[in-house]
Amino acid sequence: MTRQAVDIREIRKSFGLEFNLGPVSLSIPRGAICALVGPNGAGKTTLMNLLMGIGRADGGTAELAGHDIRTEEVEVKRRTAYVSPDLSYRAWGSVGRAIDFVSGFYPDWNIDRCDRLLQSFGLHRGERIDTLSFGSRVKLATLFALSRDAELLLLDEPTAGLDPLARQQLFAELLKYMRSEDRTILISSHQLADLERFADHVAVMQAGQVIAFGSIPDLLERYVQLDVQLPHDAPVQSSVLRAISRQQDRACVLLDRQSSQRQSLEELGAEVISENPLTLEELFIALMKTGRTRWQPKLSAA
Amino acid sequence: MPTPQLRLGPISPAAPGALYQQIVDAVKREIAADRLLPGSPLPSFRVLAEELLVSLITVKRAYEELEREGIIYRRQGLGTFVSERGHDRTRAAKRVAARASIAAGVHAGKEAGMSDRELQQLLREELKKSAPNDERHKEAV
Repeated sequence: MTRQAVDIREIRKSFGLEFNLGPVSLSIPRGAICALVGPNGAGKTTLMNLLMGIGRADGGTAELAGHDIRTEEVEVKRRTAYVSPDLSYRAWGSVGRAIDFVSGFYPDWNIDRCDRLLQSFGLHRGERIDTLSFGSRVKLATLFALSRDAELLLLDEPTAGLDPLARQQLFAELLKYMRSEDRTILISSHQLADLERFADHVAVMQAGQVIAFGSIPDLLERYVQLDVQLPHDAPVQSSVLRAISRQQDRACVLLDRQSSQRQSLEELGAEVISENPLTLEELFIALMKTGRTRWQPKLSAA
Repeated sequence: MPTPQLRLGPISPAAPGALYQQIVDAVKREIAADRLLPGSPLPSFRVLAEELLVSLITVKRAYEELEREGIIYRRQGLGTFVSERGHDRTRAAKRVAARASIAAGVHAGKEAGMSDRELQQLLREELKKSAPNDERHKEAV
């Protein structure tokens, strides 16, 4: 058994001039929940689609659960459960009929867990799918993934349309699922406070690239924000400055403690007034505001 | 083997300190109050994450920290347990921390121009405020 649940090497796909994905490399260790975050259109869904064989990559390779996505597609799909809000189950009529239909495909379907999930997600077998709210349809899709004993879950936006209580129930179920240590979850979501609490690793995407990756505690130790007093002749914006916000000579700067940025700031004549930690949401916003500098992501699986 | 129980109270981002530190402090509190005895088994970090609704990495870090401080220990294949000296260590560390906090409070009070009498009054008031907690504590013990 390989140690990595997801091992993506230099995957790329071109969609013409407006958007190109990659090259993306990402290694996610087994037994962890990894968050995939990024603004709309960053390439999260495209990346997941490529991993699941929806569209072919122009280059690069990827292994899911130790199997190549191109040459061992059946084996990959046997071990992986995938959920997307784009999937529609309306054609099956009721929740119960959809479950009966979908469960037939999977020898690893866990009937007891499925019944428990129905209750926990507040879904009923008799309900018609076309009368469900968007959030309930998302829950139904997640139920299909969690009812199997898949090694790897790829969850694309399973928090979409969910209220805070439903989100907590979802994450409680994900943690239950993670009781077996050989399981791994890759989850994309915009709920960064939830991810900071429940996920172990995070990959931040921007404009088709992974711009930061690591364990969440490590990243939140690595990046901090500095309140700095700048000299009058400081440049408006520079790669050294990485200002999150600025009011004349006073700036809030994103500091990468693993770089020589602090020294460069001092050489610039900046005086550090205070150093403050960031939440995952603040780090995300800071990375987006100061990003598009194409520094190499550190791909250590912490 | 039944899953060991560990009741730690709520862990919240709104409370001071990182989540893993809150778990470390909560375990120490349970040990110091004799609600968790030397040799007691602790749940696996996966089970505790599920109960506290926090990430696996958070609980893992908390356990690693407690292990580093010699408060708990791991036995391969058997699980994690409270060490024999865990109780003394948490209590001794807490005494040192309490003394430092009081010293800092006295220092701040003097800087604000408070007299010894006023400081003593302040301490009495704080003790009074925490009295209901102490009552609960005695019952639990």
